[in-house]
Amino acid sequence: MRNRTALTRLVAGSTLVALALSGCSVTTEESGADVSVGKGSIKEDSSLKGQTIVVGSKDFTENIVFGHITMQALTAAGAEVEDKTNIKGSVNVRKALLSGDVDVYWDYTGTAWITYLDHADPIQNSAEQYAAVVKEDKEKNNVVWGAFAPANNTYALAVREEKAEEWNLNTLSDLAAFAKSNPEDATFCLESEFVGRNDGWPGMTKAYGMNVAADSVKVVDTGVVYTETKKGEACNFGEVFTTDGRISHLNLRVLEDDQSFFPIYNPAPTVNGETAASYGSILTILEPIVAKLDDDTLRQLNEKVDVDGEPVAQVVSEWLKAEGFIG
Amino acid sequence: MSTVTEARTEQVVLTPPSRWRGLLRRHLAMPAVLAVVLLGTYLWVRSADLDDIERRSLNADYLLRTVGEHVTLTALTTVLVVAIAGGGGILLTRRSMRWLAPFATGLANIGQATPAIGLLVLLSIFFGIGFSTALIGLVAYSVLPVLQNTIVGINQVDRHLIEAGRGIGMSPFAVLVRIELPLAVPVILAGVRTALVLAVGVATLATFIDAGGLGAMIVTGIKLQRETVLVTGAVLTATLALTLDWLGGVISDLLRPRGLD
Repeated sequence: MRNRTALTRLVAGSTLVALALSGCSVTTEESGADVSVGKGSIKEDSSLKGQTIVVGSKDFTENIVFGHITMQALTAAGAEVEDKTNIKGSVNVRKALLSGDVDVYWDYTGTAWITYLDHADPIQNSAEQYAAVVKEDKEKNNVVWGAFAPANNTYALAVREEKAEEWNLNTLSDLAAFAKSNPEDATFCLESEFVGRNDGWPGMTKAYGMNVAADSVKVVDTGVVYTETKKGEACNFGEVFTTDGRISHLNLRVLEDDQSFFPIYNPAPTVNGETAASYGSILTILEPIVAKLDDDTLRQLNEKVDVDGEPVAQVVSEWLKAEGFIG
Repeated sequence: MSTVTEARTEQVVLTPPSRWRGLLRRHLAMPAVLAVVLLGTYLWVRSADLDDIERRSLNADYLLRTVGEHVTLTALTTVLVVAIAGGGGILLTRRSMRWLAPFATGLANIGQATPAIGLLVLLSIFFGIGFSTALIGLVAYSVLPVLQNTIVGINQVDRHLIEAGRGIGMSPFAVLVRIELPLAVPVILAGVRTALVLAVGVATLATFIDAGGLGAMIVTGIKLQRETVLVTGAVLTATLALTLDWLGGVISDLLRPRGLD
């Protein structure tokens, strides 16, 4: 009995403390983590005060991380946020933005250029690619882009470090030569999207003059690519994303795209024209945060979620606090 | 959770002229509807302007291969499930084994209660990716309805008939083959049909572990926003499920003892 009262007191006390400490909080369905957003370098914004902003994201860890960065930053600026992160399929999120169901989500310059603006050939320079996307997307679709992050989340092929050493592989050209001389070891795990995209497998094999037999290509789910590439039974080479946290954790070597075939995918927040007109400050608030997101930072954030299994909201909140954006 | 599927109530044919004519009349609607749907889908895809991505999926070679993979996966699943669950169900209704039945259905329930995609990926960690892993997952997933219905179907056979059979000197085996099973067939096959329809749907997830099938088209269609690919994959999957269900209905009609018509 005594124990129980003590416990009750402890719980009640800590709840009160938590309530007192947190300015306001963001609750997310997928993580269940309740994080507090206090005062940091992000200032209250009068145009956002009490307004509800709908935040979306695509369906993979990194993009969900962006969604949570946006939600916590906007909460710190005084807005109410509605969580629509983790929408299946890239194009569906984009549709939601165009129709106004979602106010803001992060996309990638290369994706917009190739998938939404229908260009076959990417521009192999970050700033030029970004400028071209910003201009054309505003004219054609009334989508406004915020500043772009230095990180480049593009496709790559990865192989176990010890095998890369043994076979002396550093670039995709090395891999193309290797596939010619050792066809039985040139086995690949890819996800269906990569197999179907022009800027994926079909274009890459053409650009590097690779001939791979159909039965050396295994089509699996994204998560399975990493586990199988690590195991090395079904496939030696896996299609990965350059900012994925699992690359370093699984000790994989990413092969360099020496012919610059893969497009550049710099992430940036996007809003539709109407949102931009009413709440222009969304993009201004995010700008200093975007500048901090380079490959390494993203890889670490992704690793905490994918490898250590921490809730996204908590990972984002710790990082924003460490950088001083929120308190 | 019990998945006892009622055998469909058939219209009463007062003067059955011949078995086949009744069959035809009862089972013609479904193939006709499916043919119309398939034709409509084909014409719609034909009239669409296809890009590279769509052409990679919507060509005869690819379609034949994926449908073939899907059918193979489902057909093998059916054979294995009927063997495992049918045999198991017969054993579990014998007097000496009856006490085991709850354990067996509990075990089969586990296979069904696990989310299918999780089950497949989990199995792929143990058995590697590929066709046989997908098959194991599908079997685990579809065993329950057949097992449950076999047990229920056999147990619902009138005890008096069994006793009468024993009374005229039939062996227990003859009673099983000539009395119990024929009378249980409609219920058992209802379970098989349920399992098949489930299996066709779950087999779309095989694409996540390199076991092919129609799931690839559905995933590509969703991820790359190609309605033609998505709808074609979905229509083919549904058509396959309904075709198998229809086949099950026809077979069920043929196997039904004449006296029950």
